[in-house]
Amino acid sequence: MSTLDIILQQFANGLILGSFYAMVALGYTMVYGIIKLLNFAHGDLYMVGGFVGFLILSAISGLLGESWTTIVCSMVLSMLAVGLLGVIIQRVAYRPMLKAPRLSILITALAVSMILSNGVMTITDGEYLAFNTDLGYEGLDFGNVFISYTQLALVISASLLMVILYFFVNKTLYGKAMRAIAIDQDACKLMGINVNQIIALTFFIGSSLAAAAGVMAGVYYGSLHFSMGFVIGLKAFTAAVIGGIGSIRGAMLGGLLLGLLEAFGTQLPFIGSEWKDVFSFGLLILLLILKPTGILGKTEIERM
Amino acid sequence: MKTKIFTTVFGSALAGLLMLGQANAADLKIGIMVPTTGSEATAGKDMENSIKLAVNEINKAGGVLGMNIVTITGDDGCDPQMATSAASKLVSSDVIGVVGGYCSGATLPTLKIYGDAGTPFVVAAANSTKLIDANPGTSFQINSTGFDQVNTAVKLFQDKGVKKLAIVHQGDGYSEDLAKLTKEKWTAMGHEVVAYEVVNKGEQDQSSLVTKIKSKAPDAVFWTAYYSDGALLIKQLRQAGFRNLIAVGDGSNSPKLLEIAGKAAEGVFCFSNPTAEYLPAAKNYTESYKTSYNQAPDAYGPLAYDGMKLMADAITRAGSTDKAAIVKALKETKEFNGITGAVTFTDKNTLAKSNFVVLVAKGGKWALN
Repeated sequence: MSTLDIILQQFANGLILGSFYAMVALGYTMVYGIIKLLNFAHGDLYMVGGFVGFLILSAISGLLGESWTTIVCSMVLSMLAVGLLGVIIQRVAYRPMLKAPRLSILITALAVSMILSNGVMTITDGEYLAFNTDLGYEGLDFGNVFISYTQLALVISASLLMVILYFFVNKTLYGKAMRAIAIDQDACKLMGINVNQIIALTFFIGSSLAAAAGVMAGVYYGSLHFSMGFVIGLKAFTAAVIGGIGSIRGAMLGGLLLGLLEAFGTQLPFIGSEWKDVFSFGLLILLLILKPTGILGKTEIERM
Repeated sequence: MKTKIFTTVFGSALAGLLMLGQANAADLKIGIMVPTTGSEATAGKDMENSIKLAVNEINKAGGVLGMNIVTITGDDGCDPQMATSAASKLVSSDVIGVVGGYCSGATLPTLKIYGDAGTPFVVAAANSTKLIDANPGTSFQINSTGFDQVNTAVKLFQDKGVKKLAIVHQGDGYSEDLAKLTKEKWTAMGHEVVAYEVVNKGEQDQSSLVTKIKSKAPDAVFWTAYYSDGALLIKQLRQAGFRNLIAVGDGSNSPKLLEIAGKAAEGVFCFSNPTAEYLPAAKNYTESYKTSYNQAPDAYGPLAYDGMKLMADAITRAGSTDKAAIVKALKETKEFNGITGAVTFTDKNTLAKSNFVVLVAKGGKWALN
């Protein structure tokens, strides 16, 4: 492989990994934008999404056979189910805490995260589940640079979902309401916006994006484990902060940036791959010092 | 009066029990030291069963030096403290030899106790490299140590014509140790380790690492850690078009690896301790184990069985029940044909020839290479 090949291949790797990060980061950033909560349970929703997708896929592939259609079907169904789960979590755990100090709701989020991961651990006995969909090894081959159709499908569906989300938030009335609530909740209430409904909708969208990423990860990597949400939750959170937490474009940018950084960090000469996380988290620290609002974040006046 | 009757009855009952436990003067007493309680009790029980199976077979064939073998079990509980008292108990019951040892940590302090008493000890399963240095000269390890896995691995790579090797571990003590030993050995042999990499535990995407490995064009990739992340690495290596040899260490010896990696795992090599299902010579053992205990033997049963057979063989060769003579005979063991392989000892009383077996993934199952 020539140096150019390596750079191109790592660029592709980074983009694929980055789309996962971006999809999960979007949920973080949307929830933070609207109720200023770091939803620590978000990574676990990604994990639950993977498991739900697995259950649905095993159920319907028995009837319809295994194909791209059944995978897409199970992804959509898993998005709906986990979206609903997100709304339920919001209703039961977070809404009663909205007026409480920030720290209380943060701890609640940690509790929800533990309940989800330990719940799945109990159900699955802590075992790895093999998500074995046989998607084949075909793909686009540019000499030494290889991108499989599965990877291509992943990036395309992730981009599609993100474009839809972008238009939803910026061009629809619901999106406008979301943005308005992020600015001033009380004023929104006075203007006749159903704030609780919009918050629930935000959770629904964020959670279903995480679920979509979870199903994609299950199909692509081929295994599911109750702890799989932890690392990606951490990375997606980093991506959201790098891009500017609260900013949707920032989350997409941060995700892709983090993915690329990790890919090239692994390839760096002289030092081993164990250093790649040092680059990602090093960037995070650097950014927090130099530009605490993130790349696309806006400086805002803190309301105490 | 009442008390007296009780004492008499109890006393004679106790005496009766002692009589039962008492070995015949013409019996050979062999100690079994395994954990029969605690977290590792299942493995310990399996070893005890296997040793007793061997004893039954030996006795049925006429015993050793015309005497029957009887066993006494000392429970080490996989705990160093319990193990020391179990060892003292065995030594004070005048056993002429001990077979067992499952947990390395529990086995370690007992080596000196047996050594001081001059009692030969065949360590059947415990295989920490620490046991090698602590050996007072009377214990004999018949399970391969970490070094042996390295030797087995290196031999396979050599046989397959590998020149450039990539090693991937997971940063934990076990997998890093194996990776380091392999790297040292491979470079000492004049070959090249082109990539020495780490995968963070629980990270699913390894594509960037795969690209890095591919860019170094190794002839083989050796994964030294566990099955869950190993399966992901194998899958992603194959998806990226890596067609050369892939081998995994004994931590990845699990059917789950094949399940997760699917058809990408076809042809992957795995190093494993000799478990009964992969040993053609263990067929009879497995069958009689099943008839005797109504279950299949566990991973270390075959080694325990071999340990007992080896002890009996050494006593026969020594021609006496003198402990020093048995130690000498054990030391002189040459190509003893056990079901787990041939046993010959090095001057450090470890296996001269590794008993690690090489498995290969075929049709979604591990099979002997």
